[in-house]
Amino acid sequence: MSATAYYEPYRLPAGILALVVHSVFFALLYFGFNWNRQSFSNPAMTVELWSSLPEDVVRLPATPKIEVVAPPPPQEKIAKPDIVMPEKKKPAVKPVEAKPEKTKPEKTKPEKTKPEKTKPVPKAIEAVKPRPDAKTPAAQSADARIADQQAAQHQAAQARQDELDAANGKVVDEFRAKINAKIRRNVVNPPGVAKDARAEFMVTLLPGGAVLKADLVKSSGNAAYDDAVERAILKSDPLPVPQDGLLFNRFRQLDLVFKPEQPAE
Amino acid sequence: MEVTQDLSFVHLIGNASVLVQLVMGLLLFVSLMSWWYIFLKMFAIRDEVRLTEEFEDAFWHNQNLNELYRYANSSSLRNQGAMERIFAAGFVEFVKLKKQNGVDASAVMEGTRRAMRATYQREMDRLESHLAFLASVGSVSPYVGLFGTVWGIMNAFRGLANVGQATLAHVAPGIAEALVATAMGLFAAIPAVVAYNRYAHEINRLSTRFDSFTEEFSNVLQRQP
Repeated sequence: MSATAYYEPYRLPAGILALVVHSVFFALLYFGFNWNRQSFSNPAMTVELWSSLPEDVVRLPATPKIEVVAPPPPQEKIAKPDIVMPEKKKPAVKPVEAKPEKTKPEKTKPEKTKPEKTKPVPKAIEAVKPRPDAKTPAAQSADARIADQQAAQHQAAQARQDELDAANGKVVDEFRAKINAKIRRNVVNPPGVAKDARAEFMVTLLPGGAVLKADLVKSSGNAAYDDAVERAILKSDPLPVPQDGLLFNRFRQLDLVFKPEQPAE
Repeated sequence: MEVTQDLSFVHLIGNASVLVQLVMGLLLFVSLMSWWYIFLKMFAIRDEVRLTEEFEDAFWHNQNLNELYRYANSSSLRNQGAMERIFAAGFVEFVKLKKQNGVDASAVMEGTRRAMRATYQREMDRLESHLAFLASVGSVSPYVGLFGTVWGIMNAFRGLANVGQATLAHVAPGIAEALVATAMGLFAAIPAVVAYNRYAHEINRLSTRFDSFTEEFSNVLQRQP
């Protein structure tokens, strides 16, 4: 009569339901939250205000680039006919030597027979006309022109490089000023620092502006001030540096000088 | 410098310390068991209530106890409620004692009641099985989860001590992963407590019903010739 081993008919359905409940719970945990780190890290944000917008300065190198790019196209246009010339010369010059009076009607003929040819071709014929007897001088002048163009291109490149350097210099100065300002803001001057104290630091930066290390190059003579500056440098991590990798190379090693009388911003 | 914060759920559990993972595993197991028992008891109690009502109905409408006994004995184990078993045990004992000569009426009734009492207690034990487990889960698993959380937060702060520039971002992942343990503990505990209270109440009502039936059936038997 008695059932010591209890009869439980619902073992399987109950187990399945328990599993269902748990999978629902974990699905809620997994999909109910926004687990990605974007939403997590966004709220923390630091804003720095600058009197001059850094973007304007960064754009400077871009404008000279457009100016420099403009000259090359005309050079290329001149270069093309020169290369075409030696081939087109022979048919163009021969009629001139044989029948100089009929140059005009013949000139029209090639134009009619060669309607598919582009504009450079009539230009080439015209270019030959002023000096019809000289075959080799033309080639020589072509060589000279190529050399001239190369020189001009080189000069243009040099000029562009100079302009870029000038613009970069400006950007570098701008960023140096920003780095200085940011660190200076974090310096807490200890009491009793001599006004002429001068601490020199060699700061090594990583791309992105993270401070790798800050080495004291020349002590100000006041250890408390040296420490205060070092703390300020580490506190200013990350320092404002240009995103451009080439420009950043100038910021890998920074020699910074700090004086207590510098006005705090 | 930035600390990478991958806060995906899998990473949270994967990055937790071994003890916190153990606590989480234990809580998951306990939670699974408690839900299994919750559903098991839910079905069992629902069936028990249905069978009790059916039998009470049959008992009060059918005055022929022999027929009722045959009916109760013939039904399968699944369709046999606790009340039917109590009735069958009492009836069998009563018939046996009646057949013996020289047993007075009060002794017969005494024996019958003892038999019914024994079956009643066995049935109550069956109905209340696993309820103790639910009660334990309800009271203990929040503490277990809290233990995992405290341990995890301890680790998170210990790691914070090694970082010079302490930010919330350094502790947040550790605390988040530790709090998963508390969440699991509560997830196991809350349904267990609710289910325990509910089932305890329903079993209490059933037990009252069995008790009154025992008394009434004794009266019916006493009137038997």
